[in-house]
Amino acid sequence: MTAPVSPSLLEFGTAGLVEDYLNQLGKGQPGTFDAMLDRQGQLRPGWQSLLSALEALGADGRHQQHEEIQRLLAENGVIFNMHDDIQGRSWRLDPLPWVIDQLQWQALEVGLTQRTRLFNALYDDIYGARTLFDAGLLPTQAILASPHFLLPCHGSQPSDRPAISFHGIDVIQNAEGQWRVIGDRLQAPSGTGFALENRILMARALPEMYRNAPLKRLAGFLDKYHRTLTTLAYQHRDNPTVVLLTPGPGSPRYFEHAYLANYLNIDLAEGQDMVVRDSQLWLRTLGGLQPVDVVLRHCDDAYCDPLELRGDSQLGVPGLLQAARASGVAMSNALGVGALELPELADYLPALCQHLLGEELLLPNADAHTQPATAPIFDHQMQRLSPATLNLRCFVSRAPHSVTTRSQQPSDYHVMPGGLAWVGTPGSPSLLSPVVKDVWVTANTPQPHVSQLRQARGPVVATRDGTDLPSRVAESLFWLGRYGERLDARARLLREALMRLMEYDQDEIADQLLDELLLALEITTLNHDGEGAKPPLIGFAQKRTALLAQFGERDPQALQPMFAHLLRNARSVRDHLGDDSWRVVHQLRQRVDTFNPSLGASAARRACEGLSAQIAAFFGLCNETMPHHYGWRFMDIGRFLDRVLGLLSLLKLTLNAPHSPGLALWEVVLATTDNFTAYRRRYRSELHPEAILDLLLFDETNPRSVGYMLKRLERQMDKLPGSSSPYRNAERRLLIQANAALHLADIDRLSHLADTPDAQEALEQLLDELIAPLNALSDAISHSHFSHVERPRQLVSMEPDE
Amino acid sequence: MNYTLRHTTRYHYSAPVTLCHSEARVLPRKTQHQQCGASELTISPMPQVQSERRDVFGNRVLYFAMEDVHQTLDVTVVTPLNTQPLGPLPQTSPAWESVAEQLRADSRFDMQLYRLDSPFIRRNDELAEFARSCFTPGRPLVEAALALNQLIYDTFEYDPSFTTLATPLSEVLANRRGVCQDFAHLAIGALRSVGLPARYVSGYLETQPPPGQPRLIGADASHAWLAAWIPDWGWLALDPTNGTVAGEQHPVLAWGRDYADVAPLKGVMNGGGDHQLEVEVDVMPLTDHSAA
Repeated sequence: MTAPVSPSLLEFGTAGLVEDYLNQLGKGQPGTFDAMLDRQGQLRPGWQSLLSALEALGADGRHQQHEEIQRLLAENGVIFNMHDDIQGRSWRLDPLPWVIDQLQWQALEVGLTQRTRLFNALYDDIYGARTLFDAGLLPTQAILASPHFLLPCHGSQPSDRPAISFHGIDVIQNAEGQWRVIGDRLQAPSGTGFALENRILMARALPEMYRNAPLKRLAGFLDKYHRTLTTLAYQHRDNPTVVLLTPGPGSPRYFEHAYLANYLNIDLAEGQDMVVRDSQLWLRTLGGLQPVDVVLRHCDDAYCDPLELRGDSQLGVPGLLQAARASGVAMSNALGVGALELPELADYLPALCQHLLGEELLLPNADAHTQPATAPIFDHQMQRLSPATLNLRCFVSRAPHSVTTRSQQPSDYHVMPGGLAWVGTPGSPSLLSPVVKDVWVTANTPQPHVSQLRQARGPVVATRDGTDLPSRVAESLFWLGRYGERLDARARLLREALMRLMEYDQDEIADQLLDELLLALEITTLNHDGEGAKPPLIGFAQKRTALLAQFGERDPQALQPMFAHLLRNARSVRDHLGDDSWRVVHQLRQRVDTFNPSLGASAARRACEGLSAQIAAFFGLCNETMPHHYGWRFMDIGRFLDRVLGLLSLLKLTLNAPHSPGLALWEVVLATTDNFTAYRRRYRSELHPEAILDLLLFDETNPRSVGYMLKRLERQMDKLPGSSSPYRNAERRLLIQANAALHLADIDRLSHLADTPDAQEALEQLLDELIAPLNALSDAISHSHFSHVERPRQLVSMEPDE
Repeated sequence: MNYTLRHTTRYHYSAPVTLCHSEARVLPRKTQHQQCGASELTISPMPQVQSERRDVFGNRVLYFAMEDVHQTLDVTVVTPLNTQPLGPLPQTSPAWESVAEQLRADSRFDMQLYRLDSPFIRRNDELAEFARSCFTPGRPLVEAALALNQLIYDTFEYDPSFTTLATPLSEVLANRRGVCQDFAHLAIGALRSVGLPARYVSGYLETQPPPGQPRLIGADASHAWLAAWIPDWGWLALDPTNGTVAGEQHPVLAWGRDYADVAPLKGVMNGGGDHQLEVEVDVMPLTDHSAA
């Protein structure tokens, strides 16, 4: 028996996307509003040209476009998302936008603006006169019980700035096509970055469709919001400093923070980058403290100030609320707005709207009985359109012209003509959604073409001398340099060790050099007892296991944990690295992720080689693409300081080699420092310790020699802030000390190193004279340039036991 | 009564503090029964920023910031103050259940503020059960509240070695010991757990030197008690540590939902290492003769 074939399936393929979709609707929800088709099954205004274009592409063509969109999405994810892939967004972007015609949109717009006006008035009462509680117009108990209602914020908002200048509102369309509110986002209204990303990707992947559509553009809204932010400033009104306060790379929203800060061309700052002094907010920079006038806040209320709000927060700035109270900094939005996000407020809003605005509430909340409308989305194969439920996050911002007033007119607000739409049951979280959509609001008149969305944000770097670089960024770049170099040195040593392991894989032919390398890698130690002693390893199997353990996670010196340090520092300076360098970091991460102790020895060796090459590519790209500002200099200093220290300790180990006093170890030194070729070309001879020493210590033309590295450090440090002072600071003195040791070395005394104890002693003394000041140099640099970064703590812990 | 209050809080840090933001609630507030003269405030070292405001409870909050390196912090407040005797307690009061029932649906901010959970005080069945030994069915509210006050005084032992700021109420209740702050928290928790509003009051208590000996300077202590809401009358202040109604001998500093709202000194600082705290309090009664 054969199954009956439904007529709609028979038609499928010839009937087209719309008929197929209509058939699905007809069966499911008769009478339910649909975003694309009206009740007669006709396309609503604005959809025709889009669907024709997508239909004309065919399933294969659409699939190709979709692949392109996904590739661009993934690319952005790599570029901006410093997170593990599982966190942050993992959706696909539907090639069919949600078209909303102007009439529908206007109804929504008026309701959204009214809601923001209402919420501003509500904030003023809840945190001010508190008349609404006693009048019975508020759910007093629910508000008081909410952790988002913050008593310290009472009376904290200066009267000449609105509490809410940016409002995210989640809406759906119900089965009758009316707009209903699902929730409000006021503390850290996210989603603008994603709305922007979706629009830019659509414009890039489907340029024809996008260019010809009479849709409202997004760029104008964010430009105006940027002006609103600058207008909020109390001081420096001609050129105020605006920062985006982020909880940091640990936040799942960090992608968006980086994206938005980049788009608005403002600094991305974490709480620890800032300090309150003289009731004013300041950014810690290399050039000292710089005033911050406006904070675009993407950090939840309660975490913003450990003095008055949550004392256990490490994300905020102590004294921030007091600075806001004293008009020392303006915030978008004011602290305490989270209380207005309470779902319990919904039932009270109609009466509140009458009471506070004298108006009927235009946009009520959805309730338990609200049935959502349908909207079409493509399936994975881009073959069919199927009905789904869409959520839409809309954004309202205060208009720049009214920001220093308390006026509450509809014209005091702008609504972004579009938003972030995602598939999911009403109120489901956007970040977990499988599919998102661009939202196209149609315009009656052709819109000015702004295809250069990304160019509309003005100059990328506006710094004059670079001293406004945040100290934390300088510090992270310094450590990025150090860890990068350390990882490279370790990979090189490991490679050498693994090569020896493979050459002599029989126990009876013990390789002395391998033992030296195990010492250099600190897998074993010279002293066999006492604290931290690691006994020598015996036999091939033990050594092999120990070496391969370096590809695991347990030893803090192993490659993965070391790379984790590198990555942590790289992430926190993401906005200072070029996109190309960041791609290499991403590839490095993919490589390191595959490391594990069960790798074979030769695979492990190849992994080391690949690692070194990618680290070189990363620093090479940084050198090519980063402006040679202070940030780059700190990274370079970090690299060369770590490299010179690594070389010196390797030389010292060679000198004291207990197992192989011969020349073989010198060869390893040349190999691990990548100087073997240079040596061969220069000397065309057998190994002479004197010649090797000359190449590694004194030859300033060799980028791997101590002489070269000291010169490079000197050149970079000469250009750091404060170096023009006639008094030499500690780090300059230490470098001079190291330089003097090198230049005053008695080279004659070092000859016949292999068999003269006096020469060995002279070398050891020289190495010590170099190592001591260079070891101290790192601390000295930290002290002069990064020392402000210090975690504040509570005088008295007020955390009750749970 | 006329008093001069002196309250000194002193911190010694083992390492230099480079920046410190602080909030002090050490300036006594005016109440129905209490007039305050101008406080003489000395902060050492001198703060770079200092400002006073009222918090949501109406307490006086002093914000100050030290922006220079320092290793000690000394805040001293001297306040002349006059307290009036309390009026008579209400002769009759409604049954406590009817008050609780009425307040359940009351939307007034001040009622619910002191009726719900707060940082140190969570309502629970255990506390409700404890309250019900005094709040028996139909008992007038004032009588029941006074009985609770007396119950704590009679059956709990004052023991400064037993509790810290972080000791949970369940332990205080189980071991029947603690200090004034614990007893106030306990009574508040009991009242709130049966649906009645209660607030935490911080202040001072004049101590009497042993007969024939002079008053020792700095020997007095901060004190804490509570106040329960009596409809159509006001807040009835109860001191379970001493089993009395808190009145003329109890100069008031501040009030809130619990200790967290009225901590005399809070701060966030950079540096400092370990610290040592010294607190000195003097409650000096002035004879009518010397009163201004």
